[in-house]
Amino acid sequence: MSELLTQSEADLRDAASLAVDLAARRGAKARASVHHEGIAKIAVRNGEVETAERSGSQGLGITVFHDSRQGSASTAGFDRAAIERVVEEAMLIAQHVQPDVDADLPASDRLAHTGPAPELYADSPRSPDMLLDAAQVLDRAANEIAACDNRLRAGECVAVATEGLWALATSDGFCRSVQRSNDARWSVMLAHDEGGSTSAFCQSQERRVDALIPPDVLVGRAADRARQALGARTIGSRRCPVLFDPFTAAKLVGELAGALTGHAQYRRMSFLPDPVGRCVSASHLDLSEDPFEPLGLASGGFDSEGIAGSSRAILRQGAVEGLFLSTFSGRKLGMPSTGNADGFYNLRLTSSAASGDWQAMLEMLGTGLVVTEFQGGKTDPASGNWTQAIKGLWVEDGRVVHAVTDVTLASNMPAMLTGIRAVGLDVERQGAIRTGSILIDDMQVGGTA
Amino acid sequence: MNGGDIAIDRARARLLGPAGLDEAAIGRALGHLAGGGADLADLFFETTSLRSWRLEGGRVTNGGFAMRQGVGARAAHGGHVSFAHSADMREGALQDTVRAVRSLARDGDTARQPQGIALTPAGGRHDLYPVIDAVAVEDATAWIAMLERIDQLAREHDPRIVRIDANVRAQDTTVLIANADGQMAGDVRPMTILSVMVVAEAEGHRARGQAGLGRRAGQRGFDAVSVETMVATAVRMAINNLDAIPAPVGEMPVVLGPGYPGVLFHEAVGHGLESDHHRKHLSAFDGKVGERIAASGVTVIDDGGIAGRLGSLGVDDEGTTPDRTVLVEDGVLTGLMHDRVNAGLMNARSTGNGRRQSYAHLPMPRMTNTFLANGQDDPADIIASIDRGIYATEFDGGQVDIVTGRFNFTTIEAWLVEKGKLVAPVRGATLIGVGNEALRHISMVGNDLAFDTGMATCGKQGQTLSVSVGQPTLRIDRMMVGGQAG
Repeated sequence: MSELLTQSEADLRDAASLAVDLAARRGAKARASVHHEGIAKIAVRNGEVETAERSGSQGLGITVFHDSRQGSASTAGFDRAAIERVVEEAMLIAQHVQPDVDADLPASDRLAHTGPAPELYADSPRSPDMLLDAAQVLDRAANEIAACDNRLRAGECVAVATEGLWALATSDGFCRSVQRSNDARWSVMLAHDEGGSTSAFCQSQERRVDALIPPDVLVGRAADRARQALGARTIGSRRCPVLFDPFTAAKLVGELAGALTGHAQYRRMSFLPDPVGRCVSASHLDLSEDPFEPLGLASGGFDSEGIAGSSRAILRQGAVEGLFLSTFSGRKLGMPSTGNADGFYNLRLTSSAASGDWQAMLEMLGTGLVVTEFQGGKTDPASGNWTQAIKGLWVEDGRVVHAVTDVTLASNMPAMLTGIRAVGLDVERQGAIRTGSILIDDMQVGGTA
Repeated sequence: MNGGDIAIDRARARLLGPAGLDEAAIGRALGHLAGGGADLADLFFETTSLRSWRLEGGRVTNGGFAMRQGVGARAAHGGHVSFAHSADMREGALQDTVRAVRSLARDGDTARQPQGIALTPAGGRHDLYPVIDAVAVEDATAWIAMLERIDQLAREHDPRIVRIDANVRAQDTTVLIANADGQMAGDVRPMTILSVMVVAEAEGHRARGQAGLGRRAGQRGFDAVSVETMVATAVRMAINNLDAIPAPVGEMPVVLGPGYPGVLFHEAVGHGLESDHHRKHLSAFDGKVGERIAASGVTVIDDGGIAGRLGSLGVDDEGTTPDRTVLVEDGVLTGLMHDRVNAGLMNARSTGNGRRQSYAHLPMPRMTNTFLANGQDDPADIIASIDRGIYATEFDGGQVDIVTGRFNFTTIEAWLVEKGKLVAPVRGATLIGVGNEALRHISMVGNDLAFDTGMATCGKQGQTLSVSVGQPTLRIDRMMVGGQAG
């Protein structure tokens, strides 16, 4: 067993099954989900260990269904007394809620009792000693870069390892478990010149250690970003084309996907109402979902109801082909679950329009704003009104002129989606989402120059 | 009355008894934890339970119950902090957790059995919030009746309201903190948050409004008038937003209304005065203690001892009684907020700002109730002083970049002001600025100090806590406003 975990898959399956059995004895249908994670994290700065942590979490959650009423309860302890208590609490809650015929377990034949389960765990060294070495390697690399450039100062370097287990059982006899792993490294770089201070970071996150970005590359990117942000200034208010780098582009894709979840749709809290079959974005765009990518950060063989997802198109030529539905939200919309009770799996945005690498995208932008960071803002889910404070770069004739800060961007999500001119080949993965940079023709920039 | 022996007795009953622990066992664990020559070592025991009810579209659709408990163990050697935690609090598991910390600290394991530490209650009694069981299941019927009343009130307010979601979440936390100096403190922290979200629809437009009430109280802390005011606030926001025009773009004077807009001082001042950022020379205010950083008349205070506020604490999560720390006095930077680790490294004493999300998280310097003190101006005069600008009354959170001091907020309720009059509601305006510049541009401070309604939370390094923010109406002469109007 892993040295980060103190429980086994069998322990978790037993706890989930016990919870379901206790509910069944009270005449309820039930679903129990049990998770356990072990985490080790070391942060190093300037050769010194700042924090060394062994942490983790565990929990058992049960949902009972009784006479079309549901109740949920959870506990961090898995002992029998705690499980009995939460089953009791869930049953009590179910007595108080109003009946809803849509609140029920999915049909048993929809469950992925067997079937493909993508690999989510890779055996890698994850001991605190190994993480200390990894953080120190990053820290040395960061200090070497800083020693060669007096504008730079190394911030903290962090190595984190997580191993986890998850088990799901239902009163229909479903009982499966999975093992997962996650390795992350990040480095913070500070930059300073006569214009002031700034900071930047670079992170790498994978399910296996040997897939992480090499330490010198990771630290180098953080240093490049910190240097690039020096001398940032505002620009005057204007309308202009805007290029979102792959990291900020992924957040836009996440907002699009969020508007297509069953929860947003049935509550009519989506800026894309009744979207299926409707063209909601530029017609050169495709968005696809793949739950089964081996070691994918958002892969899974089944969702928290036990239903498998599928590899499918979400957008085809700009038109919506599929939503992200749970059994409950699907019933509210008159559609079957798509196995997305926990949201979306791995997504990939692609485009058939003319495109290119980062440099080519800058040339396509011509004169306009590049967005490298969202500093804060809001999307109104009901109206799609979108506003953000951003950091970025001002570009003229395809060349970066200066870094930008203290500006806002505002538009409306439906207009932004139809206004996408191109998606770059400079694809990066941010969690569940893979996309290149996104070029939007015309947005309102607010600044004071 | 809370804290002192009352809280320690409750912690004994809820935490120690079921785990078979007593003070001698805690003392032994602390002796081992500090045995490697740690400058600071402590144990934090916590039990929390939560109960929630949700009403959607006039029906109670779900409820929830959750419980967790555990112990966090920490040892600091200078600036090197080692930390581990366990959901199992029995003595064997506690010893394993302590060994994990020593291993992380690379202390090795001394063959000699260390001395157990004798514990003495510290942290006095307080009247900031009551010792009650906020999550009692017997309250279910009354809570559901209150959610149904909220639904009815919102519907009666305006026929354009087409959706109402109402939630209540009650939380009950009991903590026991023991450290290697032999101090032991306890606290019982009830908290209940009631919230409502409404959607208004007219002529194909949809707009949202939201409001909430958070109190360190149980059901009896929620009187009918406060609940009616909360519903009216959410409905008014949604109806106003239906007619909202795109926010203007550019630099202009901004008036911030009383209450939650005080989050400006939380973001633009407070985070930059948390001592960890100073010790690491990361803060935009680094080295500026004693310097003028704001216009005269600007006094900003962090006070963890205001009765009933969600940022208040009988003792912080390191067992220290929170101070009233004057951060900025009449424009001059006067104080920092410390936890024990950073205070120890900076030759200062803790100000009682050591807070953590749970036993599974490390404490850090965090804010409690942070506010701008009252000034002299009449709020009506402040609005009347604007030729063209924005009057913002509600924000949807905010962010700050500690290193640059740059902050931003997005309004969820704001008006365009022309010639001293509110002209029209505006939608989605993002206000941005740099802390020290915005502070210098404050030209009028009202006399109507108010706090948020109990919904404010603060995120730092992945840990979320309840805080409180407040301010009187104020005018900032120059601020960047970003909206959709060109």
